[in-house]
Amino acid sequence: MNRLSIIAGLALATLGIVVALNVNSYYVFVLANIALIAIVGIGLNVLLGLTGQVSFGHIGFYAIGAYPVAILTTKAGWSFWAAWPAGALLAGLLGGLLALPALRVKGPYLAMITIAFSFIVQHSAVEMASLTGGQNGIMGIGAPSFGSAINTEQGIAMLAIVVTAVLLLAYALLARGTWGAAMRAVKDSEIAAESIGLSPLVVKTMAFAVSALLAGLAGGLFAPLSGFVTPDTFSFMQSILFVLVVIVGGAGSIAGPVIGAVIVGVLPEALASLEDFRLLFFGALLLLVLWIAPDGMMGVLTRQFGRLRGTKRTLVQPPSITTPTATNPIAARVRASLHVRNLGMTFGGVRAVNGLGFDVPVAAVTSLIGPNGAGKTTALNMLSGFYRPTTGTFALDGDELQATPAFRIARRGIARTYQTSQLFGSLSVEDNVALALNRGKLGSLLGSARYTAPFVRARSRQLLDFCGYRGALDTPAADLAHVDRRLVEIARALATDPDVLLLDEPAAGLSREDKERLAVLLRNIAHAGLSVVVVEHDMTLVMAISDQIVVLDAGQRLALGTPEEIQQNPAVRQAYLGETVATGTQARKPREQRVDTPTLLGIDDLVAGYGAEPVLHGISLQVKRGEIVALLGANGAGKSTLMRTLSGLHRSLSGGLHLDGHSLENKSAETIVGLGLVLVPEGRQVFSELSVLDNIRLGAFLHPEDIDNRVESMLVRFPRLRERLHQRAGLLSGGEQQMLAVARGLMSKPRILLLDEPSLGLAPKIIAELFAALDQLRQENMTILLVDQMAGLALALADRAYVIEGGRVVAQGTAADIAGNGELAKAYLGGH
Amino acid sequence: MLLLSALISGLGLGSMYGLMALGFYITYAVSGTVNFAQGSSMMLGAVLCFAFAQTLGWPMPLAIVLALVLCAVYGLLVEFIAVRPFTNRGSNAWLMSTVALGIVLDNLVMHTFGKEPRSLPSPLVSAPMEIGGLGLGVYPLQLLIPLLGLALAAALHTIARRTRWGVALLAVVQNRDAARLMGIPITRAIAVAFALSTLFAGIAGVLIAPLFNVNSDMGTLFGLKAFAVAILGGITSAWGVMLAGLLFGIVEALITVTLGSGYTQIFTFALVIVVLALKPNGLFGRAEVKKV
Repeated sequence: MNRLSIIAGLALATLGIVVALNVNSYYVFVLANIALIAIVGIGLNVLLGLTGQVSFGHIGFYAIGAYPVAILTTKAGWSFWAAWPAGALLAGLLGGLLALPALRVKGPYLAMITIAFSFIVQHSAVEMASLTGGQNGIMGIGAPSFGSAINTEQGIAMLAIVVTAVLLLAYALLARGTWGAAMRAVKDSEIAAESIGLSPLVVKTMAFAVSALLAGLAGGLFAPLSGFVTPDTFSFMQSILFVLVVIVGGAGSIAGPVIGAVIVGVLPEALASLEDFRLLFFGALLLLVLWIAPDGMMGVLTRQFGRLRGTKRTLVQPPSITTPTATNPIAARVRASLHVRNLGMTFGGVRAVNGLGFDVPVAAVTSLIGPNGAGKTTALNMLSGFYRPTTGTFALDGDELQATPAFRIARRGIARTYQTSQLFGSLSVEDNVALALNRGKLGSLLGSARYTAPFVRARSRQLLDFCGYRGALDTPAADLAHVDRRLVEIARALATDPDVLLLDEPAAGLSREDKERLAVLLRNIAHAGLSVVVVEHDMTLVMAISDQIVVLDAGQRLALGTPEEIQQNPAVRQAYLGETVATGTQARKPREQRVDTPTLLGIDDLVAGYGAEPVLHGISLQVKRGEIVALLGANGAGKSTLMRTLSGLHRSLSGGLHLDGHSLENKSAETIVGLGLVLVPEGRQVFSELSVLDNIRLGAFLHPEDIDNRVESMLVRFPRLRERLHQRAGLLSGGEQQMLAVARGLMSKPRILLLDEPSLGLAPKIIAELFAALDQLRQENMTILLVDQMAGLALALADRAYVIEGGRVVAQGTAADIAGNGELAKAYLGGH
Repeated sequence: MLLLSALISGLGLGSMYGLMALGFYITYAVSGTVNFAQGSSMMLGAVLCFAFAQTLGWPMPLAIVLALVLCAVYGLLVEFIAVRPFTNRGSNAWLMSTVALGIVLDNLVMHTFGKEPRSLPSPLVSAPMEIGGLGLGVYPLQLLIPLLGLALAAALHTIARRTRWGVALLAVVQNRDAARLMGIPITRAIAVAFALSTLFAGIAGVLIAPLFNVNSDMGTLFGLKAFAVAILGGITSAWGVMLAGLLFGIVEALITVTLGSGYTQIFTFALVIVVLALKPNGLFGRAEVKKV
């Protein structure tokens, strides 16, 4: 809000007042009404624009503002000036009260509660006839006196215009202040808001109460303006019109509600002869705006302006982490240490984490590693308060925190980052960090000192600098490249001045050079005295930075020790490489090498990823007909992304995909299954509420012919499934579910079968049984592309193998070659 | 005796709420979205049936079938113009756009069908039944409605369990990605869900048309209540929403009998808020695990 827009606003308000003094009373009424709608709109804009919550019930608060004015002035002899604020305050108070249940729920639930509320208000007005006059309403409402020169309507119109102007200013202050930033933060990511100490409930309740207060203010002016109130005035449809005002004008922009109010208030007058079509028109308008201009009129205007000025979004240089600076902005103080005891978490009977205990030393890096599904992220979610542990405790310097909500844990001194970084996308880089510096304390509603004060800004910049961020400080975080997102997220976590910093896969998607710089940064943070806890798949990084490593497997602690101890630990090697199990199935029938068979699946220079940053950097590989190819690599190397991209669940960015001459790029998953590429996905993904039989039959969705015989052949292949045929698939053991998933996949008549982590989380005996079944498929010359963490097992089955690291193929060859190659162990356990 | 007839009409209304709530459940489960203006779909069923049978004088069975078919087609339209454009861009504006589309439909009907309420004559409401001389004053249709409502719910259950497309829809509900890997066309499944959902609303509209006035805004309150029912039932469980519908209908009828019709809306909607305050996932819903 610059000086120009303040002057423009004042000029507009003055113009409104001048107009009010010079037109006939009908137009004064229209003008006043526009101002009233604008006031409600400004309030709703706080809710919808800043906080991102929809209310279809604000007419209820409008009514609650209006009725007290009507009742108190006619029955209690109050003056308007006393009754008006009383009504508005009542509306604000009820708004805050309603927000408590309403804001625990989201989307359609919230809409429902607000609608319910407005119906209660409207029908209460009908039923409480002694107070409200029932259906007939209240007439002869006491109007304020504005002297003899101007009549009541003119007076109220002027008053409404002045209130609108004041509220616009207040909105601008709120929007640029600490609370406004907190509201946007909650809108962008509630999870991240909690992890910087903000309570989303408090922030949203405040927004709701403010918007209710403003609706009440407008309602209180409406009563004397119209001179009477009846319940019919406050119908559900009016609530929709209020929402329309904000959407049409542009949610989140300062002037939006005023523009919206003018459109909604003036158009019906312009189309007076078509009065009956008013609602039809508004319905269509709302639909149209949502389609064409989701940012409303203000959005369209700003975009046009941008085009006129010729501003283009400049391409951001591909960033990289610079070597962290020596000046350390982290305060030197004694920091608390974290102690974890017997921590456990159960999801619907499944023990994701079980009896986990370890101490986190201060001024050191502790890494949490383990195969996929081992429970690492679950552990992190418990330590940061997002999951409430089923058993056990964790304590920061003796304070037990396991029953504490996430935002309190953040305030207490445990900060974290996320696997997919959770920045506040609509806030700038610097704003993201500045907001976090407050640890959830926001100050006064319209204040901004805690957010914009020079020392706050200076400290934010220091932290960004310390983390190696060198990009523009005013870029919206949503536009950042992947590397920068990581850095800003770490800087934001540090801004809360935590004792413990939890990082979930900070190196995922980074280049080797950036990883090395990240390693330096993490060591620096530990040096400054913090306890750093890292969940990470990149073993080279883990081995290089860790003072202590905790290995998780199937939710339990498998090992704890220094990097050297962990690398030598036989249990760890087995969990990661499947070495001992592999020997069990080594003895299998040999078969001749397939040299001349044609290529069935060809992948050429495939690039794919999430958001801007690719996970796969140009993968090329071939699978020949009848061949089994193993795809090996540590977690996070990109194997599952490759599988999902091949099967059409994920779009590729560039590169070629061919199945027997058919191109697979940009084909839907359904089409790709039809072409014969069938994925048995990671984690089995059986339809748990359906019977085993239904699951198998669903596999034949595209090939229903001769289904009964084919189901029978699956039951012959997997006899365990026959015993369970009519049970719900969710009740099966992990191994049985995996067999079901394979059977289901085979029912889709695959020309090539993709298996993603079939052995994951299974007991060794079951794994042996499963791989025997896969060996059977091999004997039948099924073409298979296999991803499995049990590298030894996969190699025992495969003809050829590829090793992937960091989204690139680092080695390929026959299974025997790869098995004897050092690259493999290096990719899995870090090379040292 | 008043109580008994209130119970019967409560069961009738409740099963209609349940039926419409089932419609909400289906689309929510398959796509995570709903047609918030489902009341308009219900109104469409009633108005079309009236227009075909009364205005055009066609035989009733034909009028009913045609009205229902058009309702289903309207469901496809809702999905195509008010839901898909927004889910495709990851926006939740479908909440507002479906409301907007409902307003458009209501007003189009108002201008073509007329404002004045009319009632659809039906042999099932020509004379109250006498059951054992109790003087209940219940129309045959009022008994038929809950029976038909439950029969439809049971039919839906059977279709979902026994037919290829039914099981496919269930699969989509449980695991979208896995369903795609089976070759189930998701986009079509979602469109089918919306068609089913408005079809159910249309059935409710046709069934209650003879008992209530048929006009363009007859569905608004009904649709909102049905959505309240869907939410109270937990929206993630088919039997939960049906049960919540029956409960809601009975509670509503009892409030009307004991306190008078004026208080019905106040108490039922207050109940919605109280229940959600205590159980944010509804009476029979399961808490979702927060993804972090």
